[in-house]
Amino acid sequence: MAAKEFYTRMGDGHRVAMTKEQIMADLQAGSADAADMGGIKALDSNDIEALCDIVCDSNRVVGVRPGMEVPLTYDIGQLDFTGDNGNSGNGVDMGRLEGALLHERALGADTFELAHSDYSIKPVKPIISMEMQTMEEVQNEIVIPYFYGAMPNMGLYYAPDGPYGNPADLMREFKIEEAMGEAEKSAAHLARDIEYVATKIYDAGADGFDFDTTGAAGDADFVGTLNGVEALRRRCPDAYINVGAAGESVMGIHGSIEYRGEVAAGLYPHQQCKLAAKAGANVFGAVVNTNSSKSLSWNLARAVTFVKACTAASPIPVHVNMGMGVGGIPMFETAPIDAVTRCSKAMVEIARVDGV
Amino acid sequence: MTDFTNENKMLYDAMVAYKVPGITEAVDKARKAGMPATAVIDGLSAGMTQVGVLFERGKLFLPHVLSAAAGMKKAMEVLEPELLKNGQGAAKKESVVMGTVEGDVHDIGKSICSTMLQCAGFEVHDLGRDVPKQSFIDEVRKGCKFCGMSALMTTTMTVQRDVIGMLKDAGLRDRVVVMVGGAPVTQSYADKIGADVYGESASETVARVKDL
Repeated sequence: MAAKEFYTRMGDGHRVAMTKEQIMADLQAGSADAADMGGIKALDSNDIEALCDIVCDSNRVVGVRPGMEVPLTYDIGQLDFTGDNGNSGNGVDMGRLEGALLHERALGADTFELAHSDYSIKPVKPIISMEMQTMEEVQNEIVIPYFYGAMPNMGLYYAPDGPYGNPADLMREFKIEEAMGEAEKSAAHLARDIEYVATKIYDAGADGFDFDTTGAAGDADFVGTLNGVEALRRRCPDAYINVGAAGESVMGIHGSIEYRGEVAAGLYPHQQCKLAAKAGANVFGAVVNTNSSKSLSWNLARAVTFVKACTAASPIPVHVNMGMGVGGIPMFETAPIDAVTRCSKAMVEIARVDGV
Repeated sequence: MTDFTNENKMLYDAMVAYKVPGITEAVDKARKAGMPATAVIDGLSAGMTQVGVLFERGKLFLPHVLSAAAGMKKAMEVLEPELLKNGQGAAKKESVVMGTVEGDVHDIGKSICSTMLQCAGFEVHDLGRDVPKQSFIDEVRKGCKFCGMSALMTTTMTVQRDVIGMLKDAGLRDRVVVMVGGAPVTQSYADKIGADVYGESASETVARVKDL
């Protein structure tokens, strides 16, 4: 008799059928890969069994056990409605107030954020007064904590978008020292801009700030953001600050830039969270990337292994980033609900995250 | 036959330590010990491969890889006269055109891939980002044997397919290896649009290209 097969997914969203033995093998391999890369403990057999039960559940949609619910928040503000497919949106036009209230009252968001369509710190600078006005207006209506969200996006400080030389171009000409210098100058500029934008918006009534995809331009971006967070914390002691990562490992574009004596390049979530806490963040947003050529089981076990180590090490709450191509979820434009709910349940019940 | 075990280890270690002066010094010592130029290159190449492995594992970072590559370049300048004398001049580098496709301004992933290809010995023509489709065709027409296209958005990944179509229309498709990558791009998408190489990461892309 042929072995029973379970319908599951590949990391690119394709439907596949796998036996329990195949799923178990991928779960173990995924966890082992994270343990090897991050220098952390692999999941034990109980966790692997529990993950297998979640993956093999016969229901299309699964959920956490009663009493294990965690806060749910969203990044990118109203853009998940108003943006087109290119930025993960649904193409439904509406104002920012309507977007915020829909998230609060229809989608069960426990916190939400105001976002500008460019969703980056630098372009917000010249229009900060308009953002402050909108923040004030939405705060008059909304009940849940309402933040301002933006990506540090330090790439905008490099040529051709900004005043500093592009390290990628300089390095290809073997101008390594120069490239590192430009990255350091950009990081300092980013930190100043974060302090400027975030304190202004806080003055307008924001409950806090979400720094989304910290480190997207590499280790100097990560350090610049943490320095900006530190300055913001000094100026706004009561602000709620979320530092969300860009990827599972901080890319070493500079290679040796440090935050409080620690080299940022190559840090994994269980190490990133400690620096975010030192900078003054209230919450760390862990990210683990999906490998689109591997199965859901492999990716999920790998992501849970990284995030479990992070929640164990973190001095502050960890809200894991769950979406297209992160957190074990397939890299697919409309993330399959079966995969999204399985990954979310596993993150809460096994990785013990504080929020999603 | 002379045993160059110590020199090989020295060259390997110098590359993994990625400091240009250290690499130059190791090459000088190996040459003084009578090591042939081709053997020196083999020793350095083994070290460079390990540098790539350490980069992939997050133990070394981009500037370190570049520094090792700069050391390799310096070594080749020293070794070139002997190679030429023995009729073993350095093989002509294969050229690669790289760019982020038109409509897409994401840069960093493509740049890392370009740098890694350069370190692997390719001549890279990096056209930057928001690159017009025709520019890829022009570079292939000028002789690039590899065409690498990055796209970070679902709305721009289709441009990769368009360029492959333009290569076919221009009668150039058979003379170029097309590589695609970027966050939303997957192996199945690469297969669907008829690309030759897809990599999950820069290191994987370089490994696949070198295996061709």
